Amino acid sequence: MSGRLWCKAIFAGYKRGLCKQRGHTALLKIEGVYARAETEFYLGKRYAYVYKEKNNTVTLRCKPNKARVIWGKVTKAHGNSGMVHAKFRSNLPAKVIGHRIRVVLYPSRI
Amino acid sequence: MCGGVSQINHFSPRLLCPWYFVTTIGTLTRTPGLFYLKNVSTALFLLCKMVGEKAKKPDTKEKPAAKKAGGDAAGAAKKGDPKVKKPKKGRPHCSRNPGLVREIGRYSQSAMYSRKVLYKRKYSAAKTKVEKKKKKEKVLATVTKPLGSNKNGGTWVVKLRKMPRCYPTEDVPRKLLSHGKKPFSQHVRKLRASITPGTVLIILTGCHKGKRVVFLKQLGSSLLLVTGPLALNRVPLQRAHQKFVIATSTKVDISKVKIPKHLTDAYFKKQQLRKPRHQEGETFDTEKEKYEITEQHKADQKTMDSKLLPKIKAVPQLQGYLRSQFSLRNGFFETGFLCVALEPILALWRPGWP
Repeated sequence: MSGRLWCKAIFAGYKRGLCKQRGHTALLKIEGVYARAETEFYLGKRYAYVYKEKNNTVTLRCKPNKARVIWGKVTKAHGNSGMVHAKFRSNLPAKVIGHRIRVVLYPSRI
Repeated sequence: MCGGVSQINHFSPRLLCPWYFVTTIGTLTRTPGLFYLKNVSTALFLLCKMVGEKAKKPDTKEKPAAKKAGGDAAGAAKKGDPKVKKPKKGRPHCSRNPGLVREIGRYSQSAMYSRKVLYKRKYSAAKTKVEKKKKKEKVLATVTKPLGSNKNGGTWVVKLRKMPRCYPTEDVPRKLLSHGKKPFSQHVRKLRASITPGTVLIILTGCHKGKRVVFLKQLGSSLLLVTGPLALNRVPLQRAHQKFVIATSTKVDISKVKIPKHLTDAYFKKQQLRKPRHQEGETFDTEKEKYEITEQHKADQKTMDSKLLPKIKAVPQLQGYLRSQFSLRNGFFETGFLCVALEPILALWRPGWP
């Protein structure tokens, strides 16, 4: 069985000014990336927020299971310490702040 | 410079040209799509050239006209050139008629005739009516087919070109010419510099994710042809997409390996399994057609494997490397791991490492 093929990241919060936050763009903190120069590898990579629900969902290849996904992709770097903007197909729910997001290694550019 | 249709509309041909040219302009504009984007002076010039010649081949004339319509400053630089004889036929030349003002050339039509040395250019003579009649094959309108039974004379007549089933209620206006929109089969295929024949790739998606495979060649649809080889990691000859693959710096030398020509996209295309037609009372009895690996696939896999395995075994530890799977581990951070050095090079790899 293959091991982990995704990088760990945390949903740090939404794009925001001091008083207003924009739910359509998320800020992610990727483990191991702590400088702006290092984020270049992750630009364009897809992100997945994976969660489980009570009811089964249909999957493409496996049997229906309880896991669900919200997909997104990284759009640009944020700040100097390796944070990254990401846009999801639908906005991430706020209760996920501080929780795990998976960064997959595709679309690959190397 | 040559505007879209809207420009032509404002530029009324009737103002410029004598009345007897109007009708011919009318025919020209009806030829599919060619003259919508050309300016009217070009059309005029073409008319003059075509006096005495049949207007049935506007497309061959269109090319020289297109060159004329440039009217750029570059045309002025080539003034000396038209005197030089061009031994090759049909070599395109930039505009010999630099524009004074937009859409008005410096030289008159007779001057252009000399400049382009048209008196020397021989176009094929127009075929006489008799010749054309002889050459034209009779297009069959109907075909007689035999009937199963003897009744009705034993044959029936089938129309080859049938009347349309329905006509649209509105006349749809003809689409404008589009530029540079190519169908998928004509797209430019790119390949990353890091992917060369023999590169070991890591597949990122699909049921074989994490496996290391050998890249063979890029197919016509830009997908990559890869193989495990099957004996090492159960990855058959299959296609992979560039974007969903990481190229490592490890390469196998397959320059001497000949890849069979019949391994194309059509070979790998998914077979449409026939869904069973349900009949009354048999809804649950009919079996679904299952996907089966054809003998052809198996044979091809065997030949490719037999060619590749010796090359792989020649490199120490490469066999074990291809059998192992890639994964990320805690403490290995991807930016340092992957983007700086593509993968730990084979010399540093030890069994058990990712």
